[in-house]
Amino acid sequence: MGAECCYEVSQIAYIKLVLHALKHRSAAVNGLLLGRLRQDGGATATVEIADTVPLSHSQIGLLPALELALIQIEEHFEAQGLSVVGYYHANERHDDVELGNAAKKIGDHIFRYFPRAAVLLLDNKKLERLQSSKGRDPVVQLYTRDSSKSWRQTGSDGSNQLTLKEPAANVVLLDYISSEKWQEIVDFDDHLDDISKDWLNPGLFN
Amino acid sequence: MVRAEEAARLDRLESQVENGGGGAEEYLCLVRKLKARRSDKVLKHGLSILNDPKARSKLGGEEWTLYEQVAFAAMDCQQHDVAKDCIAILSKEFPGSTRVGRLEGLLLEAKGAWAEAEKAYERLLEDNPLDQLIHKRMVAIAKAQGDLSAAVNLLNKYLEIFMADHDAWRELAEIYMSLQMYKQAAFCYEELILSQPTVPPYHLAYAEVLYTIGGLENLQTAKKYYASTITLTGGKNTRALYGVCLCSIAINQLTKGRNKEEKEGSNLQSLAAEALQRDYKERAPKKLPLVISMLKNMKLNS
Repeated sequence: MGAECCYEVSQIAYIKLVLHALKHRSAAVNGLLLGRLRQDGGATATVEIADTVPLSHSQIGLLPALELALIQIEEHFEAQGLSVVGYYHANERHDDVELGNAAKKIGDHIFRYFPRAAVLLLDNKKLERLQSSKGRDPVVQLYTRDSSKSWRQTGSDGSNQLTLKEPAANVVLLDYISSEKWQEIVDFDDHLDDISKDWLNPGLFN
Repeated sequence: MVRAEEAARLDRLESQVENGGGGAEEYLCLVRKLKARRSDKVLKHGLSILNDPKARSKLGGEEWTLYEQVAFAAMDCQQHDVAKDCIAILSKEFPGSTRVGRLEGLLLEAKGAWAEAEKAYERLLEDNPLDQLIHKRMVAIAKAQGDLSAAVNLLNKYLEIFMADHDAWRELAEIYMSLQMYKQAAFCYEELILSQPTVPPYHLAYAEVLYTIGGLENLQTAKKYYASTITLTGGKNTRALYGVCLCSIAINQLTKGRNKEEKEGSNLQSLAAEALQRDYKERAPKKLPLVISMLKNMKLNS
């Protein structure tokens, strides 16, 4: 299923994801990808990732907060015609480039409802190089589920299934990093600690 | 509440120091007291005091504490040379000190020289076999290399000697959770609750682990510990209020309403649902419709 499908990440979805990881540098973080499937006619289909909701920066392996977040986030985005199309994850350790078990399990869960689900894993090395290289490639790795039901990193065979919708997204991202915007990111964890904090991050891009 | 006030004072002091309003010594002292991790700021302002002989001499005995503080901050910011200089000065002042020895080990860790760091710590342990901080560094080295099973083994050995170390039990629980070994994590929280029965986060964490394991008996116990979290926090814990609701839904699904005991206790979840709606109405009105609709779907909305 994976080969003929492309994934396109919007700038705001992408920036939120990276800023979330930067806010909690010493912890693993995760979140949900919201979007829709676009059939371009013919065999190709594109998953448009329009937004992200940061979930957690502690105890990613626990169910209660994840269940609550899924219920409330699905309900909120349904009105905009968006659904959960994937999951993102950033590992605790800087040099850890593996997709862990907890992340795979959450991916499996989303896959049951959305068979073209994407899992994005933050690539610390690419993020680190971004400052000097000014590259245009996304600093995340795309994983999709193959026919043998395991999560496989795409792009290793040269094909590029993941693109940024706005080509200048990395420039904007660097700007946000240098102005320390990551301090303002709110995730669902923060919301449960203080419900007046909004996991939609409405003021972030103002 | 004292903590919250001090944290606010720390923020005020930080912006004052950042804007050239003075008070750097007081700021650095408060960072130490609150164990706050503001390494970039500590490095900047600490170093400017240490590099100014006049300001440094005013510190008196605190001078050495500041060298240590700046060394930690420098390692956190990957300024290994600054850390090395600070540690060299301390080592000259306190030759043979274990505390300085730990800093030297830490610098090796910061550079990623795991084997050398381990050797340095082992040498220190020969003289002080019961130095808890060094044992903990050994766990941290295993963790930093991604060897979680070694970290678990070391922590378990450590806890055989230092059974009353709550932080270590909590760390062990968290490592077990990241390995998806929930039963073992639950055991750690049982130990913590036994030794400190009135600490709400332990009750909450225990309930969350049991909910994650699932099964009727675990869900029933989870619900009880969510309830005790509510009691201990005076109803202020959002996670616990939600938890009670989630548990009763899951229990109802498993028993299909047959369970007599559950029916008698069914007041609890409606009370929790009410409290949630009240809190959201007051503090997050924009999210209230979402919560009401969710509770309605759970049939908890009266």
